[in-house]
Amino acid sequence: MGLVIDEFYKSVPKNGQVVCGDNVEIIKNDLETIVVLSDGLGSGVKANILSTLTSKIAVGLIDKKLPLIEIVETIIATLPICKVREIAYSTLAVLKLTNDGYAHIIEIDTPSIFLLRDKKVEKIPMEERKVIDKTVREAKIKIKQSDKIFMVSDGVIHAGIGALLDFGLGWEGFARHINNVADSYHDLKNMIEKLIDICMAYYLMEPGDDFTVLGLSFREKRELTMLSGPPQDFKKDEKVIFELLEGPGKKVVSGGTTAHIVARELNQKVESTFDYYDKDVPPIMKLKGMDLVTEGLLTLNKTADYLDKHKLGQLYPEGKDGASRLIRMLLATDYIKMIVGRAVNESHQSLNLPLELGIRTQVMNKIAQSLKKLNKDVEIFWY
Amino acid sequence: MSNIKVEICIGTPCYLMGARELIDEMQKIKKEYKDKIELKSLHCIEERCEKAPIVKVNGEIYEEVTYDKLQKVVKEKLARL
Repeated sequence: MGLVIDEFYKSVPKNGQVVCGDNVEIIKNDLETIVVLSDGLGSGVKANILSTLTSKIAVGLIDKKLPLIEIVETIIATLPICKVREIAYSTLAVLKLTNDGYAHIIEIDTPSIFLLRDKKVEKIPMEERKVIDKTVREAKIKIKQSDKIFMVSDGVIHAGIGALLDFGLGWEGFARHINNVADSYHDLKNMIEKLIDICMAYYLMEPGDDFTVLGLSFREKRELTMLSGPPQDFKKDEKVIFELLEGPGKKVVSGGTTAHIVARELNQKVESTFDYYDKDVPPIMKLKGMDLVTEGLLTLNKTADYLDKHKLGQLYPEGKDGASRLIRMLLATDYIKMIVGRAVNESHQSLNLPLELGIRTQVMNKIAQSLKKLNKDVEIFWY
Repeated sequence: MSNIKVEICIGTPCYLMGARELIDEMQKIKKEYKDKIELKSLHCIEERCEKAPIVKVNGEIYEEVTYDKLQKVVKEKLARL
């Protein structure tokens, strides 16, 4: 299909708990995306440790390229059983989805995956087999380009227990809500936000269990070209601007001085704005032909710090400030061409900034490294 | 038509050295005087970054501006209207 996979999730802890007992691990490479969702027994720190343990072990073994079913068998054999309740300490759902649409699903003690096809949820037929004393459900299916897949923890199926419903929302109930949401929302991120809101509403805003909604969909590859910093040799200004304009995808300029150089070469004017939404991030600017123009140093440092902590699949920051906008654009992109000028900004030298804050090359390198860890294709061109 | 045009530089050095606070305070003053003050942001006035924050009032450049200093300049100009 030549497409890439988008994946987003949101986990909500049980009311009163700080950490969530559900854990999601995602690994991605150029060919496939593997998602592991685990729900630890109970809630709070103990459940969090159990689910993290289970999903981390699974991901670790998957990374070693062992067959999926073998991995699951190993985990079942190792999972401790709760003496009181006589059930395993955590559940497991594994989905391996290739960029050309082949899905391999394995589920243990977890709600079945929802396949959204033509705006209607379908249940994927599963083969069941006994592994040790566990029932393992497995399916291998071909996913269509327009399909979406949703995985949830049982907190979603039980939404409403102790609040609006006696027996909870149920699989069918949640499927109905996915159908409804699919009628009005197209974007996967928005759909997940909406589905989380719906579960929260059934729980009357006080969830009785941890819950997670995770979604996957396909989309076309996206590209972006970003320019930051004037070139060391000012005679290269023109070349750098050419590189930016001829670069693929959306266009981003980061840095006040840089923006003015671009404007000068394009015979345009930089329009400054006053709208700052975050006190640490200066307002964005506007320049015809550019998709985003931000201040440099502070915005880039904030971006680098955020990206360093971002986990694959997490939803994007919502802010309207320059850094949040830049982060969203970078995260939504697959190939990023960075053009970085190495001219020393004399004005910054007088400010006695901390060393790591002052050096553009370091900040840009840090951003590039974080993006690469998130499986983005990043190229830096130094000037 | 505004009578006093205040332009605050929001380049990185100026922003770090207090331009944001100047914007905050000027927006409060603007509410009081409405059309008499035009408030704008701009970038890097004549490379005077060492003297940040820089503010232009009716074309005149002020360096190392504090809120008190800016308020004084603006109020003086308002009084002369």
